[in-house]
Amino acid sequence: MLRTLVNFFLIGGLLFGAKAVYEGRRVEGPEITVRVPADATRAEVENAVGEAILLNEARRYGWDKRDPIVFTHLVRNMRFIEPNSTDGDLALYERAIEMNMQAHDPVVRSRLLYRAGEALAYVPEDRMPTREQLEAHLRAHGDRFERERRVRFQHVFLSRSKRGDALSTDASAMGEQLSTLGEGSPKGLGDPLPGLRAEQSATLSQIKDDYGAKLADVIEKAVAGVWLGPAASVYGLHFVKLIDQDPAYVPTLDIIGAEVRADRLREIRDELRKERMDALRSAYTVRIKRVP
Amino acid sequence: MRSILFLLLGQFLLVIAGGCGTDSPAPVGPDEFGRCADFDELRQVYWGDTHIHTNLSFDANMQGTRTSQEDAYAFARGEPIALQPYDEVGDPTRMAQIDRPLDFVMLSDHAEFLGTLEVCNDPSSPGYDNQQCIDYRNAQEFDADPDEVVFIFVEINGLTAFPPADAHYPALCGPGDVYCLEAGMDVWGEIVSGAEAAYDRSDSCQFTSFPGYEWSGGPMAKNLHRNVIFKNENVTELPYNYFDEPYAEGLWARLQEECIDAGTGCDTLTIPHNSNLSEGIYFENKMGNGQPFSAEYVEARNAMEPVIEIYQHKGASECLPGEMVSDELCGFEIIPFSNLATTNLEQITPPDPRGFLREAYGEGMKLEGSLGTNPFQYGITAGTDTHISAPGFVAEYDFKGHGGAGQPNRFLPPPEGFPDIEYLSPGGLTAVWAEENAREAIFSAIRRKETFGTSGPRIIVRMFGGWEYPSNLCSAEDLAAQGDAGGVPMGGILAPQPGSSAPMFVVSAKQDPIGAPLQRIQIVKGWLEGGEYQVKVHEVDGDPNNGASVDLDTCTPQGEGFGDLCKVWQDPDFDPTERAYYYARVVENPTCRWTTHQCVEKNYDCDNPSRDIDMDCCDPTAGLNVDWCDSIDCSNPNSLPPADARCCLPRVEPAIQERAWTSPIWYQPPS
Repeated sequence: MLRTLVNFFLIGGLLFGAKAVYEGRRVEGPEITVRVPADATRAEVENAVGEAILLNEARRYGWDKRDPIVFTHLVRNMRFIEPNSTDGDLALYERAIEMNMQAHDPVVRSRLLYRAGEALAYVPEDRMPTREQLEAHLRAHGDRFERERRVRFQHVFLSRSKRGDALSTDASAMGEQLSTLGEGSPKGLGDPLPGLRAEQSATLSQIKDDYGAKLADVIEKAVAGVWLGPAASVYGLHFVKLIDQDPAYVPTLDIIGAEVRADRLREIRDELRKERMDALRSAYTVRIKRVP
Repeated sequence: MRSILFLLLGQFLLVIAGGCGTDSPAPVGPDEFGRCADFDELRQVYWGDTHIHTNLSFDANMQGTRTSQEDAYAFARGEPIALQPYDEVGDPTRMAQIDRPLDFVMLSDHAEFLGTLEVCNDPSSPGYDNQQCIDYRNAQEFDADPDEVVFIFVEINGLTAFPPADAHYPALCGPGDVYCLEAGMDVWGEIVSGAEAAYDRSDSCQFTSFPGYEWSGGPMAKNLHRNVIFKNENVTELPYNYFDEPYAEGLWARLQEECIDAGTGCDTLTIPHNSNLSEGIYFENKMGNGQPFSAEYVEARNAMEPVIEIYQHKGASECLPGEMVSDELCGFEIIPFSNLATTNLEQITPPDPRGFLREAYGEGMKLEGSLGTNPFQYGITAGTDTHISAPGFVAEYDFKGHGGAGQPNRFLPPPEGFPDIEYLSPGGLTAVWAEENAREAIFSAIRRKETFGTSGPRIIVRMFGGWEYPSNLCSAEDLAAQGDAGGVPMGGILAPQPGSSAPMFVVSAKQDPIGAPLQRIQIVKGWLEGGEYQVKVHEVDGDPNNGASVDLDTCTPQGEGFGDLCKVWQDPDFDPTERAYYYARVVENPTCRWTTHQCVEKNYDCDNPSRDIDMDCCDPTAGLNVDWCDSIDCSNPNSLPPADARCCLPRVEPAIQERAWTSPIWYQPPS
């Protein structure tokens, strides 16, 4: 992958960036004219300009003439146009270039933009994040790494399949029994269900996945120490008592370093795209021509 | 100008040299057993998929999959991903999102071509200009000629179908295959670090990832594929594939030597799959040298392959209808093909019954008698085998295609009708009973076979086997503790107990909270009687005649079922002198198959045809060879069939009964 991105375009992008940084002045780059619809919005104009610059850079480094996919595509176009031609691929390709076919073909355009995008996002070694930078990233974006709050609760379940028509009556009786239980354990009360524990710690997402949204809602709004219910699920009726909860938190870098690094690298790629694009944009002289 | 050039040269050299070490490797957090907040020594269920392909797999890549391993992890955690076909400017025309996140994942890209793809995409690789790479890249074009796509696909991917003695890397890999070996190591390193980045090492333990890959040997297209899963970031240097080790025993030996015995903390297992497409050779009593199994071979196989994938996109491998015993549920998702090639070409050929697990269980018990070890004492998993980077994407109502065999959906326009050939299906999930959602616990659960597979729904089932369980165990709040104390969980081996009459089993199950109600629990028993293999299916709980059905015009379920079921069952025909196994099958009420969902959603009216084109027949890369395509002239829309024949004359069952299969509990008599 590293070698894939060593290319003239990358160096070209750096050329403008480097000049801007080290010489502290505007660099005169190519001049281009970008045609946009008369009613194009500012965002559409900027998008068109960005693509035009990237395409121009790709052409400046000859990708439109050297890229093997572009080559084959243009040859195929020519064979379609000249089905009886006995010329070899190279001759057809050169004729396509003479006709400037590569400038207008949507597949060539897409291919060049793809390669340009890859090059823009390439991360050089000196931009790889250090531990200090990862620490800072974790501090700055704790929300991305936050672990959901957990609730510890007691759970009594009455099975619809086992109790059938008696479910409602049994639930009333269970509600009364639990109301007198105080701080006692509900162990042994209710029906077993695979995976159900009399007391467990879980996130609200897990509770929702395991028993449905209704029970998760009840627990989310629960006050500690009070038996609530019955709440219905596809399995039957549930009583729950919130014991305590651990708030959402952000683990330390020592724990989730690889996760933080991957996230920061995604961000660096975005930054590099923008930096390199900005450098190119400032180096270019762009004329906008609005056409009806 | 000179200073700028100097600067650029410096930058260039920096890139070439791979940097100067300013980067700090990501810290690796602790992974002690018991670190998770929801640790439970009696074990909880965690849901996963250990069979997933991304754009790193050559076949998926060729069929238009552009999503990466990073995307696959994101999908498993609940984020949407892009799906092919992509339009002219590279935007996806479809998206996919799982209904609920998974707990764990092992991405299993085909190891054979990890280096190949890298070489062909790396302009600085010496293999980049090889004609095969050029053909590959041409085939990646938006408007590639489908015939050229098929050509290079067959030329490269077909190498995995060579006989073992002739298995080799593609020519583009250069002398000694060094280009691909080197590039493959780089990719393997990225796979391992990607798994690391996805793994939740906090005590929240929300997601577990395992490094892994698929060993894709399929001599003459007879499937012998196996997924290789590593317990943690300590892995072998290379992802050994069919070209490196063309026999399974060679793969196991490498893994044993370079992983398990290496003293690096490495541990690994292999998971077989799609024995249904092996023409029966998956369980053939023959080693690579053509000789019958040796004692060493069966020991290695038993140790390295504790579980098998019973179901995935390319069908179920449990049992064939009509074999051995009357079992109407054996018809579930049986695809009418014998090997990988006939599947890809949709050439109907009857599958070989010897490739099905129930047959293998019997053969295994017989071999155990002579060799001392059962080579086929498999526990159960299930997976998707998705080739669109979509782990656990199993909902029948949302099937978007397999992307590895069948219709690839590579080319525009997006599929109007079925996104795949109708015999394929969305695949299933693996569930493990583990103490926590972390690598050590889940890997250990797979090793001890405390696993079950489902055909997609998150049906939870627990099973214990013992000798003296109380008859009211199903009412016991501590069912699991008593199950452990009085016997073994699913996947375990039940030792004889002198003085006991017959083994008892407790099976407890609950429906998927967003799925259909349960209909019944069955226990399938297999045993040897005078050396002859016997099978019997016992109805244990629920009601097979509950009258439940599904309205095929609307896919609305009809009738009642059960939210949960539980039963203590004792074998009425037990012979303590004979080997036996017992596994539970938990069955849902009928629901619509994915094909029916699609027909209902599209509102096909067979009396009032509305469909313009049958894309399958007219997509050469779909490889279809179906009867109604013969009459179609794809250049003439007027010749196309008046309606989608697959909705109006379905060749598959329109309704299915989703299910869970537990790992068997094995009884071994006194030697």
